[in-house]
Amino acid sequence: MAVKGIKSKDRHILNLANIVGDARSIIYHKEDLIAYDCDGFTLHKHLPKAVVFPNNTDDVAALVKYCSDNQLPFLARGAGTGLSGGAIPLNGEVIISMVRMKKLLSVDFENRRAVVQPGFVNLKLTNSIADKGYYYAPDPSSQYCCTIGGNVAENAGGAHCLKYGVTTNHILGLEVVLPNGEIVEIGANGIPDAPGYDLLGLLTGSEGTLGIVTKITVRILKNPEAKKTVLAYFDKVEDGSQAVSDIISAGIVPAALEMMDKIAIEGVEAAAFPVGHPKDIEAFLLIEVDGIEAGLDEQINNIMEVCKKRNVREVRAAETEEERARWWANRKTGFGAMGAISPDYLVQDGVIPRSRLPEVLNNINNISQEYGLRIANIFHAGDGNLHPLVLFDARIPGQREAALEAGSACLQACADVGGTITGEHGVGVEKREEMRFVFTDEEIIAQTDIREVFNPFNLLNAGKLFPTPGRCVEIKRELKEKETAIS
Amino acid sequence: MITAELLSEVKALIQEDRIVEGENDHLLGNNGLVKVYPQTEEEISAILKYANENGKKVFVEGNGTKRGFGGLSESADILLSLADYKGIVEHVVGDMTLTVKAGTNFKKLQDYLAEHKQKISLDPFHPEAATIGGIVSSNDSGPKRLGYGSSRDVVIGLRIVYPDGKVIRSGGRVVKNVAGYDMNKLFIGSMGTLGVFSEVTVKLRPLPKYESLILLFFPQGNMEEIKAFAQKLLDSTMEPVTLELLSPALSEGLTGQSCYTLAIGLEDVETSVQYQENFIKSIQPENTNMKILTLTDAQAFWNQFYSLHSLESESLITSASLKIGVVNMDVTQVMKESQLLGDSHHLEVQAHGGLGHGLCQVNLKGSKEDVVSAIQQMRETVAGLGGYVVIKHLPFALRQEVDTWGPKPAHFFLLEGIKSKVDPNKVLNPKRFVGGI
Ligand SMILES: Cc1cc2nc3c(=O)[nH]c(=O)nc-3n(C[C@H](O)[C@H](O)[C@H](O)COP(=O)(O)OP(=O)(O)OC[C@H]3O[C@@H](n4cnc5c(N)ncnc54)[C@H](O)[C@@H]3O)c2cc1C
Repeated sequence: MAVKGIKSKDRHILNLANIVGDARSIIYHKEDLIAYDCDGFTLHKHLPKAVVFPNNTDDVAALVKYCSDNQLPFLARGAGTGLSGGAIPLNGEVIISMVRMKKLLSVDFENRRAVVQPGFVNLKLTNSIADKGYYYAPDPSSQYCCTIGGNVAENAGGAHCLKYGVTTNHILGLEVVLPNGEIVEIGANGIPDAPGYDLLGLLTGSEGTLGIVTKITVRILKNPEAKKTVLAYFDKVEDGSQAVSDIISAGIVPAALEMMDKIAIEGVEAAAFPVGHPKDIEAFLLIEVDGIEAGLDEQINNIMEVCKKRNVREVRAAETEEERARWWANRKTGFGAMGAISPDYLVQDGVIPRSRLPEVLNNINNISQEYGLRIANIFHAGDGNLHPLVLFDARIPGQREAALEAGSACLQACADVGGTITGEHGVGVEKREEMRFVFTDEEIIAQTDIREVFNPFNLLNAGKLFPTPGRCVEIKRELKEKETAIS
Repeated sequence: MITAELLSEVKALIQEDRIVEGENDHLLGNNGLVKVYPQTEEEISAILKYANENGKKVFVEGNGTKRGFGGLSESADILLSLADYKGIVEHVVGDMTLTVKAGTNFKKLQDYLAEHKQKISLDPFHPEAATIGGIVSSNDSGPKRLGYGSSRDVVIGLRIVYPDGKVIRSGGRVVKNVAGYDMNKLFIGSMGTLGVFSEVTVKLRPLPKYESLILLFFPQGNMEEIKAFAQKLLDSTMEPVTLELLSPALSEGLTGQSCYTLAIGLEDVETSVQYQENFIKSIQPENTNMKILTLTDAQAFWNQFYSLHSLESESLITSASLKIGVVNMDVTQVMKESQLLGDSHHLEVQAHGGLGHGLCQVNLKGSKEDVVSAIQQMRETVAGLGGYVVIKHLPFALRQEVDTWGPKPAHFFLLEGIKSKVDPNKVLNPKRFVGGI
C-alpha cells in the first residue's frame, strides 16, 4: 500500500516510506537532503539517498532489514554534531535518524541506572534527575544537543571525564539492531560482567559500524557534595603545562583540568560568553575539584601552591556559583567561539602522555608557522587530550587543504610522543589515514575482522574508521584466501 | 610416546630448562602434557605458531590461581605459564601509567608502586599469588570496584600474541583513546580464549592520603534494615569505596562477630574521611554496633579478606566459589539464599556482595553432591532476579556436571563469530569459556 503524499518513482523510497508509515517520516527530495550531506565535520560532503525517522526499535529493525535485503548502504544519525564525519553518507546511504526515539524510558534511583532511547539528548538526562540530586557524568561540550546514542557510538568524553571516565565507563546495557535487522540485548538489566566477551565495551566507540543502538541503560551518579573551581593565569604556556603535570603527580584527582592558550582566549573573549580574561596572558588553567566538602580546601590549597611554584600570574577560586558557571560557559563554547576570530576552523583531537605537553605544544607552534595558519589550543589537559583548532579561510585557495594537512601534522606530533590520534571525537572519515600513525596493517585487519562478524557485507556506515587497505594488505588477504582455498 | 615427540618439538622453540613434563590428575584439570615457561614474547609467539600450525591445543595460565575457573578438557598439549614472563616494562611516574609483562605478580607490583605513592586501582583476590595478566584475563575484581571500577576502567593498552603468533597491540599508553575499536574490552575477561597477553598497560591512581573501614554489625540480621541503611547511605553525598555485605560466617572469620556486617571503606584526605565517618555514625541504625579500623588496621582487614578463600583442593571436601551478578539491592536476596542453602545442604558458606555494584562472591564447602545441587538451586534463584551465576572455582570433575558459565546468551553467535575470526583453529583455552568456546 502506498503512503499518502509520497511523490517518487523509486521503489525503495516507496517501500521505506511504507515501513515508517507516513510522509512526514521520510525525506527524499534533493533540496531537503542537503541538510544531511555532512555532520559537524564539514570538509567532506555527500548526499544521502533518503532520511527516515523511525519511532521505535521495530521500525529500525524493519528499515535495516529492508536495506540489508536490498543491498542499500545505510547508517544511523543522532544530532549530527560528530566532528570526524561519522554520519556523512559517503556512499549515498539511507540515513536512519534517531531523533524521534527520544524518550527517557525509566529511572531507577535505588540501583542508580536510567534507560533512554538513543535520540535522548545528553543534558536532558541530567536535567531530568537533578531534582533528586543525581546526574549523568559524561559531559561533552555539545551536551545540550548531542544524543546519547551518538555518545555511545563515539565513546564521547568531556571536561569532567578526567575523574569520572568517558561514556564507556557509564554504559550498563544496550539494545542493538544488527546490520541484518536482528535485535540483540547486551548487558540485560544493566548488571555488570555478564558472561561472554565484553560486547558493551566493543560496541561503545565503534562509530556506528557494528549496529544501530536503539536503547541504552546508563549509570547515574549522585551529585558531589561540593565543587570548587580555580582559574589560574600564566605568562608562559610552559609554566601552565608544567603545572598540569605537577597537579596530577601531587596525587590530586581533579574533576576537570582544562587549558586554553592565547589564541583560544582571544576567541572566547570575542564570542558570546566573555569572562574578562587578561588579554596578555599566554594560557589559563580551569581546574575543578569535587567531592566531600570537608576535603576540598586542602586540595585547592595544594593546587594553588603548585601554580605559584610555576610562576602563576594570578590564581583564584570562583566565589559564587554564578561565577563558576560563567567560567564553564566560556570554556564549553570554546570551539564555536573560534568563529568570532576566523571564518573557518578545523578541530583536532590528539592525545599525549601528560608529561609531554610542553614539547608537543611547541611542535604544534612550529606546525602553525610552517603552514602559515594560526592554531588555537583548547584542551582537556588533565588527560592529555589536545584540541588544536586550525584557523583558516576556505575562500582563500589552498587554505582548506593546508588546514587539513596542518591538522594531520598535529596528530603525527601526538603519535610521535607515544600518544594517539583521537581521544573523543572518533576517526570517522577524517582520520582514517591517520590510523596508520598508531596501528600496523595487521592491527587494522584485526579490527576489521571484528567488524566482519557484525557487519559482514559492510552495508552499515562503510568507509569509516579504517584506512583504505594498503597494497600489501590486499596482497596478504589474497594470499590468505588462496591458502584457505587450498587447505 | 606422544609426549616424547611433543617434548622434542617444543625443545626447538624454547630453552630446555623452561620446559617440564605436565602433571597428571590435577584436581582442577587444565593440565598440559608439557608445561612451558617462556621468558620472551618471541618464545610465546613461537609456541602459539607451532601449536596453530600443528593442530595442538594450548592452555594458558599466569600463576594458576584460576585453574578451577572453567575448562572442560582435562589436559591440553601445552600448558603455557606466564609465571616467568614478568617485570616492569615502563613506569612513567609523572603520567601515572604503567606497562608490565603479563606474568608480573600483583602484590609485588602494588608494593613497588606504593613507594611512588601510586597504585593500580584493582582489588582482586589472592593478590600475593595472582598475576596481572590472569587478573585482567579473568576480569577479577573485589569490593573496591564500587569506588574505582574494574579492569575495563583501568586497562588502557594490551600487547596480545594472537593464536597464529602475530603480535597485536590494542589501546595505547594514554589515558583517553578512541582510535579504532576499543579492542582492549574484547580481551579483558576473555579467559585466554582469544590471545595471550604479553604486556598490560594500566592507568594508575594516587594512594589515598587516608583510609578507614567502618564495620557495621547487624546482630539481628534483619535484611530490610540493612537495605534501608544502604539506600540511605547511597542516596547521600558520601563516597564510600566499598559497601560490602558480609555473611555471618565470613564476618566471624574476619571480625570475630557472627552476624551480617557491612564493610564500608572510606578513602580520601583525612578531614573528608572523618567527616564521612561522622555522617555514618549519625545515621547508624538502632540495634547495630560499629567498629572503625584506620590505616594499617583497615589494610590488614582487606589483606585477610582477599586471601580468605583457600585455593587448596582436597579430595574429600569439595570447595566452590561463585561470582554472582544481580541488580544492586538484590545482593541482599543472594545473601539470604546462600544462608538457606548452607543450612539445607550442610555446607560451609561464606558470602559477600557489594550493594553499590551488584556483584557477589559465594564460597561453598561440603560434599560433592551438596555443592552441585546448591549451585543449581542458586542459579534458579538468581535467574529469577535476572542475574547470572559464574563458577570461579570448582574441581575439574564437577565442571562436567554443572556448567561454569550457565546458559548461553541469546547473542552467543556473536561471541562464537569473534572466536572463530581470532582463533579459527581453536588453539587457545578450548572449552574454557561461555558455551564451550
Ligand atoms: C561544539 C561541539 C563541541 C563538542 N564537544 C565534544 C566534547 O567535549 N567531547 C566529545 O566527545 N565530543 C564533542 N563533540 C563531538 C560530538 O558532539 C560527539 O561526538 C557526540 O557524541 C555526537 O553525537 P550526535 O548525536 O551528534 O551523533 P552524530 O553526529 O549524529 O553521529 C555520530 C556517529 O554516531 C553514529 N550514531 C549516531 N546515533 C547512533 C545510534 N543510535 N546507533 C549507532 N550509531 C549511531 C553515527 O552513525 C555517526 O557515526 C563536540 C561537537 C561539537 C559540534
